[in-house]
Amino acid sequence: MKFKKFVKKLSVGLVAVAMMATTLTGCGEKKKDTFTVGFDAEYPPYGYMDENGEYTGFDLELAEAVCELKGWELVKQPIAWDNKDNELNSGSIDCIWNGFTINGREDEYEWSRPYVDNSQVIVVAVDSGITDFAGLSGKKVGVQTASAALSVLQDEEGQKALADTFAELNEFSDYNTAFLELEAGSVDAIAMDIGVAQYQIESRGDGKFIILDEHLNAEQYGIGFKKGNTELKNEVEDALKTLKENGKFDELAKKYGLEDMTCLSFE
Amino acid sequence: MSFQVMLQQLSSGMLSTMGIFFLTLLFSLPLGLIIAFGRMSKNKILSGFVSLLISILRGTPLMLQLMVWYFFPFYLMGWSISGWRFPAVIVGFSINYAAYFAEIYRSGIEAIPKGQYEAGQILGYSKSQSFFKIILPQVIKIILPSITNEVITLVKDTSLAFSITYIEMFTLAKQIAAAETSMMPFVIAAIFYYVFNALVAFVMGRLEKKMNYYS
Repeated sequence: MKFKKFVKKLSVGLVAVAMMATTLTGCGEKKKDTFTVGFDAEYPPYGYMDENGEYTGFDLELAEAVCELKGWELVKQPIAWDNKDNELNSGSIDCIWNGFTINGREDEYEWSRPYVDNSQVIVVAVDSGITDFAGLSGKKVGVQTASAALSVLQDEEGQKALADTFAELNEFSDYNTAFLELEAGSVDAIAMDIGVAQYQIESRGDGKFIILDEHLNAEQYGIGFKKGNTELKNEVEDALKTLKENGKFDELAKKYGLEDMTCLSFE
Repeated sequence: MSFQVMLQQLSSGMLSTMGIFFLTLLFSLPLGLIIAFGRMSKNKILSGFVSLLISILRGTPLMLQLMVWYFFPFYLMGWSISGWRFPAVIVGFSINYAAYFAEIYRSGIEAIPKGQYEAGQILGYSKSQSFFKIILPQVIKIILPSITNEVITLVKDTSLAFSITYIEMFTLAKQIAAAETSMMPFVIAAIFYYVFNALVAFVMGRLEKKMNYYS
């Protein structure tokens, strides 16, 4: 059975290679009945792999609901976060929908209206003795590459002054590694989104890590479309409006413990 | 996620990994021979060009080459690249590995003394006959251990496919690890890679033994 599947996969690959010329030259307009969402599959609770090995999360379920309304077929395309712009510009994905921070990227994408109020926060180990930003002075801080937290820490008008007091600012690729380093003591703190921080702290067992009361900033999440693609953006926003009105949006927010953070409004 | 689901997910990822592995070997092994011929050509322009090509392919990271193969059709020609993801992975891997294989072939071919070609000629063999009937079998015997090295490296290199978001086993392991906040998937991934490589090494070892017809 497995072997059969494998042979099938192989032959699909072979056919794909053989047809590469046709796919490349044939190009043609993308069919409107699929809606491809690009997301980082290592970003719970917004996009991640669930118990059964299916991709899920607040953002993906929301996208699913939008597609149901619109009669589109949702394609969940995990992407390498560093390559998100290439994926979007080349048309491999229709939008980036993944706890995607608007602030600081206003001009780079066609943004939907914001739907989640987010803050960038600092997570430390409970026994580290760090209780406020002043305590971070001379400490090693980790942050995800190409993340909003990193931009805030590098922005002169943001928290660059604070970042300058750190001994080191280390970039890492995923939160698992970061928390392992925090636990092992090779970094003293991690800067990240509050929603992600809550998920990580909860699933790693209470009482090990805490979020500092001071926040790095306040910012908002939106859905990022390719610059100029207002048509698709408007269609998705229309659907979001319906979902907000019929209560589906709030229901999903509640399911993922984000009900205090949503800010979708059509007034 | 239960252990069983985790195993299931990683097994399906292993199929994608093996897809890259077998297709890359299928294309790069013959392509390498062609490149080796180009490299050894008496035509200075051709051999110079192929040398440059090999130097670029070996001198830049495979991850970067994959990104070039995947995104260039769009950035350079403005073509749509939907459906091009998997083919781009295979093209990128095959051409990169062909460059390495080419140099391995060359090492083997150049190890055969010139006298053997001359002997072939005297016995009435044509050039291609003496190459395929006399030279190549010996070359294969000489280069097999180096090929094994590359093949094992290839198994582990498959994880680079994620740079253009092709989901193979290691990517799945990372995703599961993130959702479960656990290191277990990495342990399983390591075992998968090791077992597969042990199999590869075993098969190649058997092949070497079969070739060992002089002792």
